Amino acid sequence: MSDRSRLRLIVLRVLVISLLATLLGRLWYLQVLAGPQYQQAAADNQVRDIVASAPRGQIVDDLGRRWATNRTALVVSVDRVALLRQHDGGTTVLTRLSRLLGVSYTNLKSKIQLCGPGAPHGCWNGSPYEPIPVSQLKDDITSTRLALQILERKEDFPGVTAELGAVRDYTKPDGALASQVLGYLAPITLDELKKLPKTQQDARRSDLVGRSGLEQEYDGYLRGRPGVTEVAVDHLGAVTSTLSQTVPQPGDEIVTSLDATVQASLEKSLADAVDRAHHTDVKKGGGPADFAAGVVLDALTGHVVAMASYPSYDPNVFVGGISERDYQALQHAPGTPLLDKAYASAYPPGSTFKLVSTAGLLDDGIASLDGTYDCSPSVTVGGREFKNFESESLGLIDLHTTIVKSCDTVYYGLANKDWIRDNSLIDDKKRPIEGVQHAARAFGLGVPVAVDLPGATSGHIADRNNQKLRWEQTKKDACAGAKRRPKGSYLQQLDQEFCTDGWRFNPGDQLNEDIGQGSVLVSPLQLAVAYAALVNGGTVFEPRLVKAIVAPDGTLVANVRAPVRGHLPVSPAILDYIRNAMYDVPLKGTAQDAFTGFPMGRVKVGGKTGTAEVDVQHGLATAWFASFAGRAGEAKPRFVTVIMVDRGGQGGVVAAPSVREVWDSVFGLEHHKAAFPTGAPPAALPRIAVLTGASTSPSPPPSTHALGDLFGPPGLAVRATGWRPGDD
Amino acid sequence: MTDSGTLRVSPVSVRRRETFRERALDRESPLRRLDWVLILAIGGLCTLGALLVWGATKPNQVAHGLDPNAFLKKDILNIGIGLSLAALAALVDYRTIRAYAPVVYVASLAGLVAVLVPHVGTRINGSHSWIPIAAGFEVQPAEFAKIAIIVLMAMLLGEQRDSVDIGPDGRDVWLTLAMCALPVLLILAQPDVGTIMVLGFVIFGVISMSGVSSRWVVGLLVVAVLGALVITHLHLLKQYQIDRLTSFTNPAKDTQGFGYNTHQARIAIGSGGWFGEGLFHGTQTNGHFVPEQQTDFVFTVAGEELGLVGSGLLVILVGVVLWRGLSIAARAGDAFGTLVAVGVVCWFGFQAFENIGMTVGIMPVTGLPLPFVSYGGSAMFANMLAVGLLQNVYMRSRT
Repeated sequence: MSDRSRLRLIVLRVLVISLLATLLGRLWYLQVLAGPQYQQAAADNQVRDIVASAPRGQIVDDLGRRWATNRTALVVSVDRVALLRQHDGGTTVLTRLSRLLGVSYTNLKSKIQLCGPGAPHGCWNGSPYEPIPVSQLKDDITSTRLALQILERKEDFPGVTAELGAVRDYTKPDGALASQVLGYLAPITLDELKKLPKTQQDARRSDLVGRSGLEQEYDGYLRGRPGVTEVAVDHLGAVTSTLSQTVPQPGDEIVTSLDATVQASLEKSLADAVDRAHHTDVKKGGGPADFAAGVVLDALTGHVVAMASYPSYDPNVFVGGISERDYQALQHAPGTPLLDKAYASAYPPGSTFKLVSTAGLLDDGIASLDGTYDCSPSVTVGGREFKNFESESLGLIDLHTTIVKSCDTVYYGLANKDWIRDNSLIDDKKRPIEGVQHAARAFGLGVPVAVDLPGATSGHIADRNNQKLRWEQTKKDACAGAKRRPKGSYLQQLDQEFCTDGWRFNPGDQLNEDIGQGSVLVSPLQLAVAYAALVNGGTVFEPRLVKAIVAPDGTLVANVRAPVRGHLPVSPAILDYIRNAMYDVPLKGTAQDAFTGFPMGRVKVGGKTGTAEVDVQHGLATAWFASFAGRAGEAKPRFVTVIMVDRGGQGGVVAAPSVREVWDSVFGLEHHKAAFPTGAPPAALPRIAVLTGASTSPSPPPSTHALGDLFGPPGLAVRATGWRPGDD
Repeated sequence: MTDSGTLRVSPVSVRRRETFRERALDRESPLRRLDWVLILAIGGLCTLGALLVWGATKPNQVAHGLDPNAFLKKDILNIGIGLSLAALAALVDYRTIRAYAPVVYVASLAGLVAVLVPHVGTRINGSHSWIPIAAGFEVQPAEFAKIAIIVLMAMLLGEQRDSVDIGPDGRDVWLTLAMCALPVLLILAQPDVGTIMVLGFVIFGVISMSGVSSRWVVGLLVVAVLGALVITHLHLLKQYQIDRLTSFTNPAKDTQGFGYNTHQARIAIGSGGWFGEGLFHGTQTNGHFVPEQQTDFVFTVAGEELGLVGSGLLVILVGVVLWRGLSIAARAGDAFGTLVAVGVVCWFGFQAFENIGMTVGIMPVTGLPLPFVSYGGSAMFANMLAVGLLQNVYMRSRT
């Protein structure tokens, strides 16, 4: 052997040693240094959590009538992984399934698409490896046959199953929808999931979450806790043993203060109001009326008895996932049904605001209870003429008549005095009093509303301070517009005026404010709270829709009382005066026509109409009637009802008759059945029928039994998280 | 010895032909000169291998209601057949084998061609590597081609230098490369990337060790590197092959696709710790998380169930085999013997390093079995034949 070969042989020996040393070193690292970490990985590898979702709690009315409950339904699910493994990616099976279920292919397809950038509405947010529910079948013979077809023709529907599962059901007791108040459920989003503690993420991956209304506000109570079964699996995910198990805990029941009968009546009266507006000439107090909203409040407790927004929608459209097209249609439907106008948006209140301006002007001494004021056809302030409604003229009148007849020019005069007084205070480097604005905030207007619903509006009350703030935020655009637009044009002049003088709180601003126009905006709920304070002796509530939270076994979790926000800084004499004046409004004032023939002897009704001009050009106004009522003989009226019809016309013509319908239903007048025969909402909590599992009806129809036998116990949708596809 | 008396009684008689037994037990008997360290190491590897194959297959067999020991029995049978083949390869003088090298070479070429013929060769995992013989037995010609190539190279490069102490000239090397190219191309057609890599290393190793000038060694290295670059840049490999080869560099990237195997393999080995979880007690193994576990990924069973102690012992046994192989190469009686031994060491060494390396995540994943340990007849037989050749060279070396 040559020396060369001998040398190379030595090189080969060194190579062998170093390679083996490398392997041993790597083994040392993997097994000893990183060993614990890999031991954990091996343990995780073979443990899977199977999640059984908890039955969601029910939402019931004050008498225990179910509003939102659960029912068992045949749920058709699609295994996305199995579908994708098919040679055409599952197109054939999906097409066949869409034909069988009678839904569009794109609808089905979007439901099994994973959520991500650009994913359609209704996309799947859960684990990609668990079956995705795509359709719920009704509990009837036809649907049962459909399910059987899917199950029997497994070769035609690979990756598709039909099982019994629990789904949300909105039952409309007494015909009351309460759609916006109840809200709806939608799959949890990725962002929401990421915010949860790590330990909960897997279990809640395909959860439904309350997206609006009470379903959202009380989601934490309603949801319950999912059951998790920890099992050991092999590489194909087949279960080899059960390691631990927790049973699902059903969610708590929510007992609302809402009454289904009153709610149904309010919903109907809103529809009637809109109808009335449409069928009344604009000149006679009608209008195009896009939408309406109303609130019935228990003035003594601050609990909401009914709250509705028209137009509405069937809350069941969201059950089982709404299709992108239906969702878009609902969002862009005329009258924006998804938005609850009763509390989530604000409108100029018109003369209903005079409750606040009267209290404010009296309280800070601009007006007095024994004074008389000139109700002239018009008032000229700052070179601008402010006319009375229909140029009415009543001569010298007291405040009582001013309220009953809703004379604007009296308020113009007082507002002007108010403004001049405040302005001289400013000139003396003192703080302006702004009595009306202070009163408004005390009544809960223009400040955030703490109601147990998401997205309540604060409304708006203009004063010198926020006028300036708004100007500072928006003047840039106006000033740019003043430079850019052709000089002398209408818009250029507007921009120019706002750019230089927009910060000013002019006398005209105060005048408009005192009659509830201009930049005053309130929600019907806010106004109801204000009127409740008027009639209950000055207590301003933070309104509540929920009375109690009850555990599934019937024990009380929490009694919910409406917290007191504050007490009006107005003397009881002033409140009594205003209330007494308002009792005359339905008798001889602006709501006289609407209450002709009403049995005032049994139920005493007071209130104030409002007609807020929103489109001067076409003579359109938003109609209001804020009203209170109680059984004759009782010291304080128990209820407040506020109804608002946007661009509906005059309050006394359009809104007041609808409020009368509500009073009829609450007290059982004029051939209506009384919702509250005692004249007050029930004090005690109702008994709620306990839900067992997902089944809701006391005696399920035979078909359910048959299917239960077919598909196993009628339990909950059992799903597994963290599924892994087989190696391929 | 019953016959000794007879010998003494008639010293002048014509020397009777010795019986096989006499020859076998004779002081000069080749059996007495066997490399027993190598045999013990191989025995250890085979024993460990049988246990690991058993551990890898028993849970799954039980789960499917099949004979839990079926794979163990077949593995032991393979070892038995392999040992007889080794004995055969050891007993026939390697100089006789050298004479038949071209025959072996042509026969293996025929096998490699046959495997590509439709209806003769079968396709498993996308490559044509097997020829079914009978009753479920299959032959993998590429395994035997390794031996053929080693023997042929040793013949071509070691021929002239029994007496003269100089390396082969350029013509010999070119001829050798040309002869090697044929089987390599046939295996490439299957395709069997793993075997190509082994052969490449063997060819390089044998040529380098044949005493050629350093220019050849450096030149071949450069060609190998350039070749690898060309293959990857001209997309001569299919994407799945590239993915498989590169997935080990970033295992966290894709733990479900190609990275899945290596990821699960690493979890299995890492979870073994010092002493392992005990045979039949590995959760990764029993849950069947690592694919191909009785064949290509058999080392993971050692890692998980026998721990660092067991898997380290396995690596050391491989080291002993390689070390003895190199010693045999050093003391071989002629260049042919040296080159055969070097070829076998290169083969076992590369294949073992690549196989274990891929399971611990430092080498790309290729379909190569771990010599003497992985389950599989053809590989076991070829490995045993090669060990037989090593013993053959050892027995007939000068001292």
